[in-house]
Amino acid sequence: MKTTFKASFAALAAAATMAGSNASAELTGDLKIFLDTSNPAPRATMEAMIGRFQAEHPDLNIETTVIDREAYKTQIRNFLTADAPDVATWYAANRMRPYVEAGLFEDVSDLWMEPAIADNLGSTKGAMTIDGKQWGVPYTYYQWGVYYRKDIFGELGLSEPATWEDELANCEKIVASGRACYTIGSKFLWTAGGWFDYINLRTNGYDFHMDMAAGNVAWTDDRVKATFANWRQLIDMGGFVANHQTYSWQEALPFMVNGEAAAYLMGNFAVAPLREAGLSDDQLDFYQFPVINPDVPLAEDAPTDTFHIPANAANKEAAREFLRFVVSSNEQTEINNGSNLGQLPINASASIDDDKFLDQGFAMLSSNSPGGVAQFFDRDFPAEMAAEAMQGFQEFMVFPDNLDDILNRLEKVRARVYQ
Amino acid sequence: MFPRPIQTQPRAAQLTYSAVLPIALTLWLLPLIAVAIFSVKPAVDFTQGNYWGMPSSFEGLTNYGQVFFDSDMPRYLLNSVLITVPTVIGAVALSCMAGFALGIYKFRANLVIFFMFVAGNFVPFQILMVPVRDLTLDLGLYNTKTGLVLFHIAFQTGFCTLFMRNFIRALPFALIEAARVEGVAEWRIFWYVVLPLMKPAIAALSVLIFTFIWNDYFWAVVLTQGPESQPVTAGITSFNAQFRAAYHMMSAGSIVAALPPVAMFFAMQKHFIAGLTLGAVK
Repeated sequence: MKTTFKASFAALAAAATMAGSNASAELTGDLKIFLDTSNPAPRATMEAMIGRFQAEHPDLNIETTVIDREAYKTQIRNFLTADAPDVATWYAANRMRPYVEAGLFEDVSDLWMEPAIADNLGSTKGAMTIDGKQWGVPYTYYQWGVYYRKDIFGELGLSEPATWEDELANCEKIVASGRACYTIGSKFLWTAGGWFDYINLRTNGYDFHMDMAAGNVAWTDDRVKATFANWRQLIDMGGFVANHQTYSWQEALPFMVNGEAAAYLMGNFAVAPLREAGLSDDQLDFYQFPVINPDVPLAEDAPTDTFHIPANAANKEAAREFLRFVVSSNEQTEINNGSNLGQLPINASASIDDDKFLDQGFAMLSSNSPGGVAQFFDRDFPAEMAAEAMQGFQEFMVFPDNLDDILNRLEKVRARVYQ
Repeated sequence: MFPRPIQTQPRAAQLTYSAVLPIALTLWLLPLIAVAIFSVKPAVDFTQGNYWGMPSSFEGLTNYGQVFFDSDMPRYLLNSVLITVPTVIGAVALSCMAGFALGIYKFRANLVIFFMFVAGNFVPFQILMVPVRDLTLDLGLYNTKTGLVLFHIAFQTGFCTLFMRNFIRALPFALIEAARVEGVAEWRIFWYVVLPLMKPAIAALSVLIFTFIWNDYFWAVVLTQGPESQPVTAGITSFNAQFRAAYHMMSAGSIVAALPPVAMFFAMQKHFIAGLTLGAVK
């Protein structure tokens, strides 16, 4: 009897300490944060956010390191094993899989059980889950879709297409006017991955797409070929700008700015440079990628950026508190607003900034994406498969007749990658 | 002798030469000219596709102002100095001594040791990437300027020793013998006889090593991360945004980063050319 009492008392005391540490707690020691948000605006946003966290925990010695986004991708392997920070940014879904499997990320499923997170972060939970556990928290995501020149559509008497037939009819008229329907710069391959994602999601649906990502579908499958057949319709009518394999995504922007192409399938980050280049909101608009197969529910790409705790972190208690802080609805509202990241908050109870494109994106992702939310081709598919496949997509866009060769090649890669 | 001076060529050849030279020079400098022009363009020019035309507005002051006052560039530049200068001093000092030993003393392993220094130069340094990274990690020198400096000294000493040993070999041995007859201690011979004669070699080598180390990118990326330790070559990419490359800022940053070695070259041109030929001819 006595021992039971003792045990329960101990449990109570432990619970009390834990509750205390969760609420406001004096966090002490060092907190090393590594960020890949290296461009000025996101960097300032993150530093301001960390400043607010510091104000709440004055005894904590926070040390922030910002690393160039591209350099970060190669350095992360290094620092997770060598000189691990307490918190590090990264990406959701398959992109975090190598580090999860190597045991370099901390399991934070405990955070996801807490009501504040469990109730508000449902939309991204799937993307953070591997083997039934959660390995980090998201802090922002953004929509993909078609950004188009409203003035050119107006001039040609076109409206936003809702179906693939509308899309093809529109494109025919745009091509007849001497323009390309879409600009794209496929030099760095991933832009072509976006096209595959959308045409495959619309032709075969989200579940099929994820099944493919998991390696359960042959590249030579007829359903995959149907995706490419749809894609080819646009290629054959001259829907894409010529020589796109020589441009980066940024170098493909001038075609749209100068009116040589009418639209761009891209992430919301394309809006800022397009506005800077002088396109007003009257000239620029957004629509959801049109329906191809009405039988599959609509699904979207919405790449999610994340925070993780390295398994070798020294101050995991403070790191957990920082993660709670990042996903709280106040911080989510603040860091994702137009003057900061200009993206979508991942917390359902956060409020969204008044921006034409963010509004449309938020509405699309929250109410018109019943099929699911994919991350992006190179985040959903394993790195090796994605690299080969995107090479194949680019080749297909330039030489559509090579399709059978490409698919056979990818099928061999699939056999090797997934074992 | 090749090449023959242009003055001795026939008139036609001279005319062709003076006509073609400016064209070749411009073509050769085109990438640099492009970078220079990019560095005064506004960001908008790149989204509007105005790559090669006149800048739509002159943003030289803004861009360079941002490089110096609103970025980590000054810190990266300082890191570069703090990495390059100790490396030059360390590598040159060590190689002077090693060169003296290998050039003056006759002992059995002399040639073997010398060949080891030479052979080190033929190791493609990329294959050392993983072991060196692990080594710096184990020594606790990962992501420190000290680690980078120590590695550079170790790696550059091979080439420097080859250079110095050959230079010292070319000195008249009678000088050393004369000093020995006078009963001068060996270290005094090194300090008072050989070292003053090595001044041109030291100058040439310093300039050469300075440019090598300043321009190093590979080890900077492998052994360091972040503005507290990375040199400027690795720091330039920090202008790149999450989604966008800031061509104008990177161009301005590159020009600033390239200035010290270029200035060094013009100031020490004579030594630089001497340095390139000195080691090679012997």
